[in-house]
Amino acid sequence: MKMSKTGLAVIFAAYVLVPLLLGSNSYVMSLIVAAMIIGGIALAWALLGNLGGMVSFGHSAFFGVGAYVSAILTMKAGVPVLAAMLLGGAGAVAASLAMLPVLRLKGPYFALAILAYAHIFKILATEWSSVTGGSAGLASVPRFPTLMGVDLSSKTGSYLIVLSLLLVFIAAYRLIRSSHYGIALRAMHDSEDATRVVGVNSTLLKALMLFVSAFMTGVIGAFNVHYINFLEPDYAFSGLWVTLPIVAAIFGGYRTILGPLVGAVTVYLVDQLVFKNLIPSGHQLVLGALLVAMIIFSPGGLMPLLRKGSRRKHAAA
Amino acid sequence: MLRLEDLSVRFGGLTAVNTVSLSVGSHEVVGLVGPNGAGKTTLFNAVSGLVKPSSGRILFDSADMLRTPLHRRARMGIGRTFQIPQPMHELTVRENLIVAQRFGTGAVDTRKIDEVLEFTALTDKAERHAATELALTELKALEVAKALATNPKLLLLDEVLAGLETNGKRRFMGMLKDLHEKFAVGILIIEHDIETISNLCHRVAVLNFGELIADGTPDKVFRDPEVMKSYTGASDA
Repeated sequence: MKMSKTGLAVIFAAYVLVPLLLGSNSYVMSLIVAAMIIGGIALAWALLGNLGGMVSFGHSAFFGVGAYVSAILTMKAGVPVLAAMLLGGAGAVAASLAMLPVLRLKGPYFALAILAYAHIFKILATEWSSVTGGSAGLASVPRFPTLMGVDLSSKTGSYLIVLSLLLVFIAAYRLIRSSHYGIALRAMHDSEDATRVVGVNSTLLKALMLFVSAFMTGVIGAFNVHYINFLEPDYAFSGLWVTLPIVAAIFGGYRTILGPLVGAVTVYLVDQLVFKNLIPSGHQLVLGALLVAMIIFSPGGLMPLLRKGSRRKHAAA
Repeated sequence: MLRLEDLSVRFGGLTAVNTVSLSVGSHEVVGLVGPNGAGKTTLFNAVSGLVKPSSGRILFDSADMLRTPLHRRARMGIGRTFQIPQPMHELTVRENLIVAQRFGTGAVDTRKIDEVLEFTALTDKAERHAATELALTELKALEVAKALATNPKLLLLDEVLAGLETNGKRRFMGMLKDLHEKFAVGILIIEHDIETISNLCHRVAVLNFGELIADGTPDKVFRDPEVMKSYTGASDA
């Protein structure tokens, strides 16, 4: 996989410059981590939307299940935190198995059915109180460990973990997209019958994308629970874990790989640092207006807009 | 190779294909003709797996295909084209063939893809965007190319010549004749043009209102008064 010089520079800046310059400001670091959590879900959501052609309103289920599985495994079975996070992703994949029947549905029917599934998991987390702690939730969820002298439970440490997760997700997304499976998935968007008659098992490919997307979201959910150290059903399965990522992905450009991340960081940071100060209550209204403007003026989102801008600059130079 | 036994397809109260029994041998070219609405495309859809038959059997290489999912039928050797070309959107011509070959045969052989591109006169268009940058003749050629890339034993060609101008039709006819020789496939072709069918096919089957009303050599079938009556709509042949 080729990596551009700009890409390497951005990675270097993210790993070295951000912690050096902003590491001491825990407020800004916590905003960045929160934006990256939204970005991670947005990326996973966009992968399902872009490659699988499915619009999901149920990603909060994967986020919540990942969080609960990881928290329970660390608290009740003594599984190390980093391993439990991966198992949280696996738990989300297991939850997505229950959603397989809805893959036969298309468009709004799929979106609504998967939203209903998300509620089932929330009810499960509330009612199965012997394991999940019920509506009171779980407190004192284990924090990240110290690894090679770096305290991963600090703001900067947590930032490095979520940054690494996102980079792995981006690499996985790129690999899938450029594989034959990725090409077939792109082909399926507007011509599913045409791809099926040449031998593409469209249901299986969509299921695989659902698994990958659920895994990523589950891992992010697990990361979040060890980052904030508590969990309760209303928070873990909150609709915000899917609406904010959708806004971010569409704002940034859900058909691109980096769009959802750029969208999440832009939307979340601008909202928290600018609009929240200007309009303390109801500042999300501005986000709604921004999203509408983006859809009208650049339906592909921020990334295609930036690319168009840089091409124009090159052409003028 | 392909044998249909009393195949029926019903949509609610409408019987689109009514107890049709028909066979296509390996390397045989069979024409499927009949007026519009006779059930020809529905029969193709049933064989390729896009619609579920209401009754009867579909045997391919002696295997019962009734429960075989659509994508597996392609792997078993049934390739088809659509009357209205359905290129895979968002992909180039070459990518269309890569998907067809990878999923239709399980592996990608770039030499074979180049061969198919050359055979269907699409080499120059290989990197073009399939859905937006091809003319109708090229889209029809891409339909055939995709099917060929799956390495089929049987090709179901649905009106591949329809809508082409005379020169394009002549070139396409030549290609279809060569195709049968070069790729050693059996062909079941839906076509309205009697001359084309007579030139190309060993046998011709006629559907009318979903029923098979004739099956034989083109010479014999096109002399059958009942066939000509259904075909031309004339009250007397």
